[in-house]
Amino acid sequence: MDLNITGPGVYFTFHLFGIPISISQTAVALLAVTVLLIVLAFIVTRRIEKRPAGLQVIVEKLVNMLYGLVESTMGKHNLKFAPYIGTLFLSSFFGSMIGLTKIFASTTGDLSVTMAWALVTTALVWYSNIKNFGFKAWLKGFTEPIVVMTPMNIVSEIANPISMAFRHFGNVAGGSVLMSVVYAALAGLSSLIFGWIPGIIGEIPFFQVGIPAILSIYFDLFSGFVQAFVFCLLTMIYVGSANPPREELPVRKKKAKKKKST
Amino acid sequence: MLFEKFESFVGVNFFTMIFAWINLLILYLVLRKILFHPIKNMIDSRQKEIDDMYESAEKDRDAAKEMRECYEQKLESATEESEEILRSAQRRALLREEEILKQAEEEARRTRERAEEQIALEKRQAINDIKDEVSVIAIQIAEAVVARDVKADEHEKLIDGFIDTMGDQND
Repeated sequence: MDLNITGPGVYFTFHLFGIPISISQTAVALLAVTVLLIVLAFIVTRRIEKRPAGLQVIVEKLVNMLYGLVESTMGKHNLKFAPYIGTLFLSSFFGSMIGLTKIFASTTGDLSVTMAWALVTTALVWYSNIKNFGFKAWLKGFTEPIVVMTPMNIVSEIANPISMAFRHFGNVAGGSVLMSVVYAALAGLSSLIFGWIPGIIGEIPFFQVGIPAILSIYFDLFSGFVQAFVFCLLTMIYVGSANPPREELPVRKKKAKKKKST
Repeated sequence: MLFEKFESFVGVNFFTMIFAWINLLILYLVLRKILFHPIKNMIDSRQKEIDDMYESAEKDRDAAKEMRECYEQKLESATEESEEILRSAQRRALLREEEILKQAEEEARRTRERAEEQIALEKRQAINDIKDEVSVIAIQIAEAVVARDVKADEHEKLIDGFIDTMGDQND
């Protein structure tokens, strides 16, 4: 019995302008999650009415929770980010859950995906900072509180997306590794105890029934939910602090000019 | 073999990242369009409708309350007015009654006085008449009974004096 811990498998590789592009399990799973979520969204919003009934009540509750969370974390002026946070959460949660099908791999078990999402967060933060405070002020922010801190500030800025990406990836991938280890161990235990029975009965890993389910509830369901939540929460906090309320923004010449012209 | 190769466990594939970005962007745009915005708008519009309903209900209630107060006030003033009217009517009626009574009394008194005067007058006249008649009769009787030398004038004076004293007794 062998147990290989590998990254996502690559189905095939094609060359576009001489560049090899590999289509891995993750890419397929990403597409599957996208299609699944779009189909689900269509189903739940097929008939939305003023007087909600059935499924609409639950969906509205969830959407309301999302907007409430975004408002309490980022403030009322940042409610425009709520759809992105919701999308990120659904992508992350369903991306973790889709690994349970065993047809697809967990998208969040691939560092490329979590890194891509974390970089989006960083991009949003930098864009917001530059837009709200100006490019110079943003650069100047790295030298605060004292100039000596500059390298530290730069490192922490770079560390943010990396830590976010690795946290999410590590939890999901670690969970799936642990689950495969448990499965392998239980198979070994089964063959140790029932192996002497001749024929096919001896080869059935009896211990794999039931026992991994309990672990799976924690490592896949709970961990998947918590990591999705944490990732979204961190995104909200970083982007929210880069988008302070309008009153706290420094008055800039550009804006003053705009106000005059209108 | 299903897979032609495996990627490293901890590694970043740039094309997978691009796939992730594309999928995230598509999901963001689609879900925003068909899920988040419609649901949020529905919730908001319902909230607004409910708020409006409450507001208008409150307004109606206030108006109704105001109206009721106005009516109550009017009713009260009407009651007061009617009472006032009744009271004044009573007062007037009482006054009038007294007046009428007084008038009636006055009239009655005057009538009685007149009647008494009349009676007194007539009585006096009757007494005078009787006096005259009695004196005449007395003279005639005396003439007939007593001798013819008795003077008629002296007899008349005598009888008049006698009757006067009798009349005074009668008065």
